Amino acid sequence: MHFSFIKTIARQEWHSVFRSKIPLALFAVLLVVSLLAVFTGWQYVHNFNRQQQAAHQEVHDQWMNQPNRHPHRVAHYGYMVFREKSPLSFFDFGLDSYVGNSVFLEAHRQNTVNMSEAGFSNGMLRFGELSMAMVMQLLVPLFIIFIGFQTVAGLKQNGVLKILLCQRASYLDVLLGKTAGLTAVTWVLFVPFLVLSLVAGTVITSGGFSADAALRIALIVGLYALYFLVITVMVVGVSAVSKSGKNALMTLVLVWMLFFIVLPKSAQTLGSSLYEAPDKIAFEQAILADVSKEGDSHNPDDPHFASLKAATLKRYGVDSISQLPVNYGALVMQEGENITSAIFNQHFDRLISTYQSQNAVSSLLSFADPYLSIRNLSMNLSGTDFDTFTAFQKQTEQYRFEKTKSLNEIHLTQIKFKDDNKQKVSAQNWQEQPDFVFRPVSVAYNLAAGAYSLAALLAWVAGGFGALAYVSSKRRFQL
Amino acid sequence: MKIPQKVLFLEAKNFLLGRTVLIGAIALLLFGCYGFYHGSQVIGHQQQTIASVPTVQQAHLQEIAEHGAGKPAGSTAYYPFFYTTNPASPWAGFSIGQRDVNPFSLKVKMLAIEGQLYDSELTNPLTLLVGNLDAAFVFIFLFPLLIIAFTYNALSEEQENGVWKIVRTTTGSIGAAIGGKLLVRFGMILAATLLLFALAVISLGLPLTAPTFQLLAIVLLYAIFWFSLSVLVVALGKNSAFNATTLVCVWIFLCILFPGVANIAVNRSVPVPEAAETAIRQREGYHAKWDEPKQPTMEKFYAVYPQYRRYPIPDDRYSPGWYYAMQFSGDLESAYSSEKLFGKLQQRQTLSERIAGFNPVIAAQQSLNKVANTDLTSHIRYLESVKAHHRQVREYFYPFIFENTPTEDVNWAGYPAYRPNAYVNETIGGGAMAIAVWAVLSVVASLLLFKRNFIQIKDIQNA
Repeated sequence: MHFSFIKTIARQEWHSVFRSKIPLALFAVLLVVSLLAVFTGWQYVHNFNRQQQAAHQEVHDQWMNQPNRHPHRVAHYGYMVFREKSPLSFFDFGLDSYVGNSVFLEAHRQNTVNMSEAGFSNGMLRFGELSMAMVMQLLVPLFIIFIGFQTVAGLKQNGVLKILLCQRASYLDVLLGKTAGLTAVTWVLFVPFLVLSLVAGTVITSGGFSADAALRIALIVGLYALYFLVITVMVVGVSAVSKSGKNALMTLVLVWMLFFIVLPKSAQTLGSSLYEAPDKIAFEQAILADVSKEGDSHNPDDPHFASLKAATLKRYGVDSISQLPVNYGALVMQEGENITSAIFNQHFDRLISTYQSQNAVSSLLSFADPYLSIRNLSMNLSGTDFDTFTAFQKQTEQYRFEKTKSLNEIHLTQIKFKDDNKQKVSAQNWQEQPDFVFRPVSVAYNLAAGAYSLAALLAWVAGGFGALAYVSSKRRFQL
Repeated sequence: MKIPQKVLFLEAKNFLLGRTVLIGAIALLLFGCYGFYHGSQVIGHQQQTIASVPTVQQAHLQEIAEHGAGKPAGSTAYYPFFYTTNPASPWAGFSIGQRDVNPFSLKVKMLAIEGQLYDSELTNPLTLLVGNLDAAFVFIFLFPLLIIAFTYNALSEEQENGVWKIVRTTTGSIGAAIGGKLLVRFGMILAATLLLFALAVISLGLPLTAPTFQLLAIVLLYAIFWFSLSVLVVALGKNSAFNATTLVCVWIFLCILFPGVANIAVNRSVPVPEAAETAIRQREGYHAKWDEPKQPTMEKFYAVYPQYRRYPIPDDRYSPGWYYAMQFSGDLESAYSSEKLFGKLQQRQTLSERIAGFNPVIAAQQSLNKVANTDLTSHIRYLESVKAHHRQVREYFYPFIFENTPTEDVNWAGYPAYRPNAYVNETIGGGAMAIAVWAVLSVVASLLLFKRNFIQIKDIQNA
């Protein structure tokens, strides 16, 4: 390896890209598209969050302004939680449009998170959403293909390669030089733009800048830079094994189709057929079957609740429910809640792990398709991934359980068993309950979840250079 | 323009022996087969679930009725769910559309309806994001690529190999030679379309009725559009690499960028804050009634159901009649925003149909979804049928509730059965027209270009 040669070739490649008008025109188009994407992304996330906050405020005010009520009435009055988008979701929409945005929390009922944007869309959404991440993941590779397909094949066609190889430069030097030059071009064109729009966007959408956001942005930028490098190596490699620029272009466009359109879809459908998930009816029926095994709070002869009754009477040393110092009805209600909640969580966890197995197929296929790896990592770091949404679902369910529990507690201690439903307690009781606050998934967890994809991206970098070395060692690729 | 048979035959032979063509065609065939399999899998699974509903419903009602024994109907009526289903049309497997996003089965209680309409199906969001590899995807996204691969080098390759000059001097009519070359390719594309479509019909078991032919018409028109677009680029008279790059860029623009921007435009011009609003309003509309005097609530109910006025509603304690009147008035109070929501979704549909006029890809996708009854409009029809069923169920049980009938005296399964929406054969004339117009425009433009670039060319001697 001769660094001086590599440097010269890289510099020459750099100049030749900027000399021609076509790359700059293409770059201008990409710039306009990504500016449009990032601008609409900012606006969208900003408006969406404002709308969700307004809805949340309305529900919260209604909750606080409730009159004195029976606690069980409040448990059914319930609470609504609205999902806000993560600060970086303007960059990568990820799963956001396909997951629900609000959930109704009520006693004895685990609701799904409803009202996704996809549900209110007429199918145009399915063509793909124009986000900055989409431009960076799909279109920048195409840009690299267009500026790079000629790079080595062109040298072969016009005979310059032979001259270069006669001058002490090895084929590997040529390939590395070309890679370095093209990589420098893409990094200079896109990396500062990425940094700028991510930082500005975060400040605009979330009104501030945290250490967490800085870390996420740094990781996103670094990983995209690696991704561009992988694509560049691939383009140079294909160009090096092709007899003519035309052949290289055809191969590269085909590979693009395969990597960006066909494989991702196939990977996911493969995942869902390998690990079959239950649909809603089956899911609910399975829960019901388990609940009915556990005990029926409405049946006075039910063994589970009969033993609860006996134990409670014994604990307080009385012989009938009406003599208890606490409200037995509330006790039964909470016991029912404990049972159903535990069973629901068990089934829900199983469902989530089925989904995770389905998604793992896509993560594993990152080793065959670098697009899958950057797609997963980008979603993870932008907080628009599967784990973030699952965390939201689990946290709302946890919140629902705690809220119901505390209402049952009020019912237990402040409502007398006799003439239960004619009594009311002071509204202050529920005004003191904490509001729901979503705790986002940490960067460390996100990275751990994206471990396969991260490993795959690094493997692509190493493998890419390995492939270049291999190509350069074969004489037939020099002709 | 008479094309000698021999030229056609030779061209066909040359074309078919090309390796790229064969590989492309086989790859598409494989993806097609996988797409058909996937479509029938997804829809088959949904149909299986739908088929299980009557059993689930029966067992559920029986259990509720047994539990409620000894109590009045009014207290038992709180518990049962009534299932509704949205069966797939026979064409849904061809174009899954929004059927994986929207629930195909909803269960409703007799309580206020608005909070129950938007329950989502359980699905892996990543699967939804990636979308289906169904027959519609194969025809709309992948097939154009094969057309591009078939056509991009129709003339440029001959020019690059130097054969073109010979052809031009030896053939009687250049127009006929070009026509012949393109005709062969067009024939192949039509044959491939028909073959692939026939495979879809067989493997998805599509009935040979009007909608299947509508699907075929759209697919054929769409293939013709892409062919004429490719011919237009060929007519520019540039080299193969330019043609391929341009066509791929056009494909990306029409299939990805344009719909992406259009989606943003639709969402921005018709936002739907009503979704959350409806739910909030209904909840408040119903729950506030607990703490209010009963008479005003009852009056709202009597305005629609005057026949229940004769049953006394005690003012000092809970009564089931009042409870269901409260639920009903919750719906009344959210009715306005609910109607507005449905209206807005309709507006979104209209707007995107207008946008589709400018993009044959969107037009084709929407038309296929329409024929398959898998679009948003079909889903709204389903939601409306659920609302209607909810009303039937309520009205069936009201007399038992108001008369305090004991649970065991009620025929719990006797309510009017849910009748799913029948297949709606929507007109797809607009979409088909949009595709056809764009195809005709490209044909006209390419004829002009051919004339300028190829036919009237004056050879510079020894160039």
